[in-house]
Amino acid sequence: MTPLQIPVEKWAGKVTEVKLGGNGRKDITIGGENTLPFLHFEGTFPHQPALAIEIQDMEPDWPADLLLSWGDAVKDPGQWARKAAEYGADIVALRLRSAHPEVENSGAEKAKRTVASVLEAVDLPLIVLGPEVAEKDNEVLLAVSEIGRGQRLALGNCTDKNYRAIAASCLANEHVAIAKAPTDVNLSKQLNMLLHEAGLPMSSVLTDPTTGALGYGLEYTYSVVERLRLSCLSGDEMTSTPIICTVGEESWKQKESRSSQDIPESWGAQERRAIIWESITSAILATAGADIVVLRHPRSVELIKEMNGKWLSMT
Amino acid sequence: MKEENINCRVEFHPQGKSAAVPPGTTILDAAIKAGIAIDAPCGGQGRCGRCLVRVEKGTVTHNDSSYLNSEQIQQGWALSCEAIVASDLAIFVPDSRERIGLGDKITSRKAAAPPHLDWPLTSPVSRLPLTLSPPDLQDNAADLDRLRAAMAAGYQMENFSISLPLLRRLSRNLRKEKWQLTLSLDTRSREGEPRLIDIRSGHKEQPLLGVALDIGTTSVAASLVDLNSGRLISQASSLNKQRACGEDVISRIIYSERSGGIKDLNRLVIQTINDLLGELTALPVSPGGKGKIKATDINYMVVAGNTTMTHLLLSLPATHIRQEPYVPTATHFPMVSAGALGIKINPEASIYCFPAIAAYVGGDITAGTLSSRLFQNDELSLFLDIGTNGEIVLGNSDWMVSCACSAGPAFEGAGVNCGMPAIRGAIEDVIINSRTLEPTVKVIDDVLPQGICGSGMIAVLAEMLSTGVIDKSGNIIHEDKRNSLIRTGEHGKEYVICRAADSAGGKDIAINEADIDNIIRTKAAIYAGVMVLLKQVGISVTDIERVLIGGAFGQHINVESAIKIGLLPDLPWERFHFLGNTSLSGAYNALLSPEAQEMAEKLTQQITYVELIADSSFMSEFTAASFLPHTDPDNFPSLKAKNRRA
Repeated sequence: MTPLQIPVEKWAGKVTEVKLGGNGRKDITIGGENTLPFLHFEGTFPHQPALAIEIQDMEPDWPADLLLSWGDAVKDPGQWARKAAEYGADIVALRLRSAHPEVENSGAEKAKRTVASVLEAVDLPLIVLGPEVAEKDNEVLLAVSEIGRGQRLALGNCTDKNYRAIAASCLANEHVAIAKAPTDVNLSKQLNMLLHEAGLPMSSVLTDPTTGALGYGLEYTYSVVERLRLSCLSGDEMTSTPIICTVGEESWKQKESRSSQDIPESWGAQERRAIIWESITSAILATAGADIVVLRHPRSVELIKEMNGKWLSMT
Repeated sequence: MKEENINCRVEFHPQGKSAAVPPGTTILDAAIKAGIAIDAPCGGQGRCGRCLVRVEKGTVTHNDSSYLNSEQIQQGWALSCEAIVASDLAIFVPDSRERIGLGDKITSRKAAAPPHLDWPLTSPVSRLPLTLSPPDLQDNAADLDRLRAAMAAGYQMENFSISLPLLRRLSRNLRKEKWQLTLSLDTRSREGEPRLIDIRSGHKEQPLLGVALDIGTTSVAASLVDLNSGRLISQASSLNKQRACGEDVISRIIYSERSGGIKDLNRLVIQTINDLLGELTALPVSPGGKGKIKATDINYMVVAGNTTMTHLLLSLPATHIRQEPYVPTATHFPMVSAGALGIKINPEASIYCFPAIAAYVGGDITAGTLSSRLFQNDELSLFLDIGTNGEIVLGNSDWMVSCACSAGPAFEGAGVNCGMPAIRGAIEDVIINSRTLEPTVKVIDDVLPQGICGSGMIAVLAEMLSTGVIDKSGNIIHEDKRNSLIRTGEHGKEYVICRAADSAGGKDIAINEADIDNIIRTKAAIYAGVMVLLKQVGISVTDIERVLIGGAFGQHINVESAIKIGLLPDLPWERFHFLGNTSLSGAYNALLSPEAQEMAEKLTQQITYVELIADSSFMSEFTAASFLPHTDPDNFPSLKAKNRRA
């Protein structure tokens, strides 16, 4: 009997390395892999997939179980960030939800204050996400970019309609832009091309392919992430940016995570079910090639950390 | 004072002015110094080719500009904005009209040739003079029997069919001019025997005419032809009056589903045709001649139209063309008489409608393919008909595949704020000065512009991209707030192509982001269609040996701009050929030759139709093409090379 020969693919490209943090703050580098996820026999993974924990600038409208897991910390972004660090976050992802016109319509001033307090509270690298309303995103992210100058924050999101101001600001203040396109490999690549034309190097860009949770379009996201990665490994620099997936946000939005109404009893208790929903979504996207997953529940963070550790130590 | 010595002296003719400039100066700058205005609408970027001059003496250093080939450089031509003074020079400056001519030739813009007959000429209708012996008591056979006997004796033609209305006129016509008659016989009748379509008394010579007709969704074009000689007597075109009921075929079909809808649409197209016929017959028979053309001398008509247009002409229900799985009532249509449709020519005249290939690849494409002669050529050819929709035929003498892409009518002027068809007053070319962003426009018939047609849209998009007015996604990004040409208007961000003071309507002609989006979607649908078709047959873009471009729009399009925006595949310019209105010239061929008509019927069997909606890769190709020029720059290597140089 001849031993099984595992075919080894020789790829022309690799994922661009993107560094967050630094300048007195802890830093983290993501990307750099030159093969598909977890294929140890084929290539190298200089950096582990990173785990970001989502916090918000106001008390969130999350399900009670999820809120409970954070206790009073949700009332203060700085305190929340410290707790996230304790729970093992590699990165803190701050969502400026209060800036949404239909929430508080808060502006640049509040954004600056909140970000300053989080930067003060923890020394982890920071992702700052706007309310995803192009005009408001520009307003708060440009302000944040100023006060975070040199801290190499990741600022999101920019789309093909509002990328220019954010790109210019990232360039001026040494930040990383998160480029979000609606679940399409071509649209993600086009956005990177636009950012590139605007002068932003690919080492200052993260790609958010738009995440669909388990049962809600996960297979589309999987396919887009996989296609982006295959294209990158084939040598296309414009698809070589590391991929960030906002898993927590998407999976906690779904009714399976929010309530027990109309859900078969055999699917288990709500909190446990929701954690599984978030973890499964996250694990699947990690196998597709996600470099950063943004999670909400501390237990999911724990599970994914454990999984990553096992998968990465397999040889 | 040393510098004085190394200066070069540049003389300009015929102005007779000169300037001393250091080597390394461009000819354009030398001209400015000499006080000569050389028109450089692109701002001296080597893009427009309007600043051509000829070097008569001395040497210049050329940039490897795409405007000049080695032969032209050999002849001394130089782009004054790029050519560098390297010695004393004598420069000839052609006047601007001549320069525009040159520039046009270099960008391979070519007007369509008049229709060309590729098949043996046999008129579909024969005119036969006949003299009958009058009846008497010994021979009192019926008039029709007498006519048959005379036809058998004179032309060995006893069997022919005759309609009741003609039969009603027979006895009177026989007796009007002493039993002398002139008969018109339709020899292409499908019943196997010729059909009598006209009986006239006497032996007067009268023209025997036919009409070739292209019924487009947007415009209708007609050629009046002498059936005996094949001579083109006149041509006319007008907008399809059905436009009042919707701009594209889908909206027409939706209109047809109302009560009385088909009737309305049919009436409108018949009106359009009759108005055109009125225009065609308003002219004298021959230039300078006196005899006016009579509509009743038109004895045959060939119609090429897309499947929906043909259905509406024949009042056939078109509903199912729109609904999956897209089934037309017929692809091969019966011969009908003009009288039955209300077309004002000889009411007995046959009307032949080109057969369709599928619901969205209609008779216009069958006619276009016939006229392109793609099926007679070993070379792999891509035939593109860019009209209200984009249809594509790919193949050669061995095989052919086709598809339709729902490109939409943007290039015909619909769905674009200042859009208009390519008629008098339409901006057909635009050059933008990269420093001032000032546009220079070329207008059809050199009148004040009213709007912009498809070729102008392609040009303006390419120019806006080159000058940084828009990004590759089509967003207007130029942020110079002092520049009044870029502004936020009632339709959002826009670029002014022509200021109110310079336009026919006294209003600014501008292109906005929604327009740009529309044009990008249109060009992406066409390019994606090409890519899917190529993929289906396993062929790469570079294997295409000839690109044949048809459609009324195909006469003015600038290949360079079309490649720059990713509408046409990136191939050497000499592979592109402009065929003009191929639908009309296909109809002209079928009018004059039964072999061509037969070939048209065969083509529908030989062309394999590919349904893009059923192809899973189309959407992905479409999104990839919805970028300028394309998401994958490897598809446009010539543009990549150019960017590197810049």
